[in-house]
Amino acid sequence: MQKIASQSGGSCGGVADDVAASTTDEVSGRGSPLFVSLFLLGAAVLPGTLVVAIGLWGDEPAVQAWRNVFLSISIQALPFLLLGTALSGAINAFVPARVFDRALPRRPALAVPVAGAAGVVLPGCECASIPVANSLIGRGVTPAAAFAFLLSAPAVNPVVLTTTVIAFPDSPSMVVARLLASLATAVVMGWLWLALGREKWLRPTVRHTGHRPGHSRRTEFRLGFQHDFLHAGGFVVVGAMAAATFNVAVPDSVLDTFSGSPWLSVLFLAALAILLSVCSEADAFLAASFTGFSPVARLTFMVVGPMVDLKLIALQAGTFGRAFALRFSAATAVVAILCSTLVGGILL
Amino acid sequence: MKRSPQSVLLVLSGTGLLHISLFTDLYLRYVKDWMRPMLIASGVLLLLLGAADAWSHRKQASSRDEADHRVREDYEEHDSHCNDHSGVPRTAWLLLLPALSMLFYAPPALGAYTASRQASKPVVQQDVFEPLPALSPLPLTLGDFTSRVRQDPEQTLKGRSIQMTGFATPVERGEGWDLTRLLVSCCSADAQAVKVRIHGIKAPPADTWVTVVGTWHAEGTLGTSSAAVALDARTVNKVDRPSNGYMDALPLPLSSY
Repeated sequence: MQKIASQSGGSCGGVADDVAASTTDEVSGRGSPLFVSLFLLGAAVLPGTLVVAIGLWGDEPAVQAWRNVFLSISIQALPFLLLGTALSGAINAFVPARVFDRALPRRPALAVPVAGAAGVVLPGCECASIPVANSLIGRGVTPAAAFAFLLSAPAVNPVVLTTTVIAFPDSPSMVVARLLASLATAVVMGWLWLALGREKWLRPTVRHTGHRPGHSRRTEFRLGFQHDFLHAGGFVVVGAMAAATFNVAVPDSVLDTFSGSPWLSVLFLAALAILLSVCSEADAFLAASFTGFSPVARLTFMVVGPMVDLKLIALQAGTFGRAFALRFSAATAVVAILCSTLVGGILL
Repeated sequence: MKRSPQSVLLVLSGTGLLHISLFTDLYLRYVKDWMRPMLIASGVLLLLLGAADAWSHRKQASSRDEADHRVREDYEEHDSHCNDHSGVPRTAWLLLLPALSMLFYAPPALGAYTASRQASKPVVQQDVFEPLPALSPLPLTLGDFTSRVRQDPEQTLKGRSIQMTGFATPVERGEGWDLTRLLVSCCSADAQAVKVRIHGIKAPPADTWVTVVGTWHAEGTLGTSSAAVALDARTVNKVDRPSNGYMDALPLPLSSY
């Protein structure tokens, strides 16, 4: 027993160490009376001043708008994030690895399109698909296939396609183009990972080892779910802050500057999709409102948005590591722009 | 007994969500009404998770002196759970920001500031217009007014007294002010403005909700894209902000207050 305790202590602090640390904290916390009274005074005055200062500054219209957009992106993401992390916790604790072996073709090059197509049927928000993809990799699914799923699930699912139909009632070809361009991007990215990807860019997934004998599946599920949620939630908050900043800081009049040139407008709307981080269920309505832009540019906005944006980059960095997130997001943005230009050029 | 910081985070987030969605209407400032069941479910789930976490930590702490196999199990569980995240992931503390903001410092709905930085949402091409009821004043949504002014070849709005509700947005260039609504399809990050320029009556303070009665401001040709989306106001009355403000609804009857 002693041996087990010392092993766990070595890896992460262990229970015994934690208990010892908290007792020493309590002892050293009792300093001299002067220090204590100063500390109490500071504790009484500082937060009050801070709250008043923040209150005054926080009531500026621009700051209020920022707080509103920040909170609304966070709130909107929370239910989907919970769903995704619950699903990933469940895959980890309850689904045996052989299920995926059977469902996916053995050759990775074939598994990629199958996984990409699987994303079409599953209605998932972009925040949900990242933890799910992570747990798929943990269960032995080839990363290339998991990434194809990660990209296609939020970009083309029944909900997204329906809202696109509603937003573009007069151009059914836009819906078809969105489906094809997004699928193509997902599959190309999967194959690109097979060709160029390195395992070392991925943060090693320690936790998603699946069910281990002798452990309660329910506890495993709860702990995995909770950890994934807390971890990813923090990164969603980072992304929401960045997106809110751009949302409030970039005035709409910038749009008109770029709508004239066909090439610049494609790049500009792609950049806008990355910065604004609008949810994939709503981006079709925004795209429809960019009336000054060519259909190809608007298509690019809808293909890039669900696959790469500030919120997702933050979330990927948290889940797979920064080395991966930067390379993957940059490559996805380029591939998505190429695919939508190509598909849009033919269909629209 | 070892406190569990995760359970505090989870419980605070859950309470915040329930506060804005179950106990108050605050969520309508940020997301659409159809999100409500999802928000309530998420709040309850987070509370349950937090409670389960606190409970398991308690059990773990109190069972430390019991039989060997229990301790061993606990250590193993702690080990697996500790390896995974070495305590609370540091970024998770950022979740406190939205949680506390929901509980104590809920920002107001978007308004004039956002609207003044946007052009009015373009009108959808519409060919067939329903005949208008013979009411005076005629209640209209800002969107319906815009498309009839710009696209209705029958010029049905000619000479009619029209009533619309929205909030006031000051304009930088030109005369008058804008009667405005912000439309949201998912969350307020995708808000789009519909605006109608109001002439003839001095602008109320920004963000004031008003009902305006007036006639079309004759500029350009009615029913074509040259027509001004504007109204010559006869009366402007303050109204309460609707709780569900992010939609283009018909004005409430003036007699109701």
